[in-house]
Amino acid sequence: MKTDNLHQVISIRNLTDSAYVVRMSRRGLQFRAGQHILLGKAGSIHNREYSVYSGENDDFFEVLIKEVDEGLVSKQLKKLKPGEMVQIEGPLGFFTIPAELVNSAKFLFIGTGTGIAPFHSFVKSYPQIDYRLLHGVRFGNEAYDKMDYDAKRHILCTSGDKTGNYHGRVTKWLKENEVSPDTHCYLCGNFNMIHEAFEILEKKGVPPSNVHAEVYF
Amino acid sequence: MKKIAFKTLGCRLNQYETDALASRFHAGSYEVVDFDEQADVYVVNTCTVTNQSDQKSRQTIHQARRRNNDALVVVTGCMANNYKESLLESKSINYVVDNERKSAIYSIIEEHYRGQVPDPEGFDADVFSYETATKTFHTRSMIKIQDGCDNFCTFCIIPKVRGRAVSRPKNEILDNIRQVLGHGFREVVLTGVNIGRYDSEGTNFEQLVESILELPGDFRLRISSIEPDGFSNRFLELFDHPKLTPHLHLCLQSGSEAVLLRMRRMYTAREFRQIAETLRSRYPNFNLTTDIIVGFPGESDDEFAQTVQMAKELRFSHIHTFKYSVRSGTRAERMPAQVSEKIKNQRSEIIRKIAIESKIAYFNSMLGSTQRMLVERITDSHTARGYGEHYIPIRIENAAHLSRNQFVNVRLESIYMAEEPEVIATIID
Repeated sequence: MKTDNLHQVISIRNLTDSAYVVRMSRRGLQFRAGQHILLGKAGSIHNREYSVYSGENDDFFEVLIKEVDEGLVSKQLKKLKPGEMVQIEGPLGFFTIPAELVNSAKFLFIGTGTGIAPFHSFVKSYPQIDYRLLHGVRFGNEAYDKMDYDAKRHILCTSGDKTGNYHGRVTKWLKENEVSPDTHCYLCGNFNMIHEAFEILEKKGVPPSNVHAEVYF
Repeated sequence: MKKIAFKTLGCRLNQYETDALASRFHAGSYEVVDFDEQADVYVVNTCTVTNQSDQKSRQTIHQARRRNNDALVVVTGCMANNYKESLLESKSINYVVDNERKSAIYSIIEEHYRGQVPDPEGFDADVFSYETATKTFHTRSMIKIQDGCDNFCTFCIIPKVRGRAVSRPKNEILDNIRQVLGHGFREVVLTGVNIGRYDSEGTNFEQLVESILELPGDFRLRISSIEPDGFSNRFLELFDHPKLTPHLHLCLQSGSEAVLLRMRRMYTAREFRQIAETLRSRYPNFNLTTDIIVGFPGESDDEFAQTVQMAKELRFSHIHTFKYSVRSGTRAERMPAQVSEKIKNQRSEIIRKIAIESKIAYFNSMLGSTQRMLVERITDSHTARGYGEHYIPIRIENAAHLSRNQFVNVRLESIYMAEEPEVIATIID
């Protein structure tokens, strides 16, 4: 078995009954905020893709996972104990912010559920970034690590209760609010949200080249 | 002298690698013979991109064994990576060599004939250490600039069998091109798994293409299959250069935004259309060819209709239609609503008909224009066959005076209808 891709679990932090953050040793693995990894238990043939949750400059590596009822890997990983090993392939993907835009452009991040993960990494990696974050969840208790974001920039959209900043889906918020066409929009989460958000943004005049998507299945 | 035969399945990258291997064996005093002939060594360079590719690869391996029961049968290519363990158990196969060690096949065979029992895994992994392909099966010289892919489209097995994206250093590529031009090649084709993502030591794809175009010599450069992402408008402007052929095989896969998202493609149908329109407005006869996958999980009638609409609208001169097939370990394998074979067949047939109509329409639109044809072969009946800069297949009758690998200026006159239509041309100088 390859060992250069093995990382030690530091902690499992439960955010809700089903969502949790796995923190692992970094072992010098470089990544760009927004990229994802393939993660599985050491020695297992099964792995899944997870966006990196931690920042580029953190000493550790984190991913945000939602346990899926009929899932395999998300259940295995939740049972991990500190000291156990996981295997990582990657980092992979192009859902990243070009370096020249980080400090000069304005961003709208739209994530549903654990689709907030790459945005958490963006914000941790680039503290000066000019962003608005639209996080869509059913209930307010799913506002994962809300305190890590500037309260003025974070808009929690809850569709199942009224505990967020906005009652309704992120796409409803998007229809009702201004988005300047020069905004760089990053969408991450379920397929339906992304598909609908693309259309709304197009109608608001945001060019396709300014819209970037990472689909979670 | 030992005889060796090659069979290549699948993509241009495989063709390049076979060409390079054949050149190495030729230089090493092997006689390279046709795959149908009796040989001492058969190398099957396999493909695993669909179920059909797997079947063809397996059939070819068995054909090789049937040709000569005493021959060495070497299996390499993507199937060797994807099904290594089961292939190793096959009595028909002597050596299974993965993609990373494909370039070592000459050394493996040499060790074998020296009485050793080489272990392919013991050879260095290097996806770029191929000989310059001078003894090739093609008039065009393919140049490998990149291997692997990080896109992880949900249907695609390639990242698993070709690994992570890696780019060949620019200087090696330029040296390689100088060598093949020195050997008399007139057309260079850039190849790789995802060449638009080329990135080596600060050089991106556009910059690499610009550097190649600056090389001296009477040659032309063709971009082969490319994904419609990762390159800028600057790349499209490069087609102003007379050496860059006005043709792209730009992989569409679906005309439905929803299906493209489920495929996790890196572009939208809108962006694809915009690229096509930009090219066509700048270069009206620009030739676009493409790949389309039909029957992706969940593809509805409406979504397929959007693909049909786009296929008609964009006037591709060639469409390579794939029926989606489940690849183990991909994300799409776990998607619900797999489409039945019956529907896939129906949709495939619809696209096939559009493809033929579009091809003929494109050829018709080019009649009367001139092309610089590169003669690829002269048949026994003295017909010269080859391609123009737009990648239109051209034939010239009574062309015994022409020779292979010659540029000739021609006028496109009429369409030669066959299973694969061509354009009949006359020489104008």
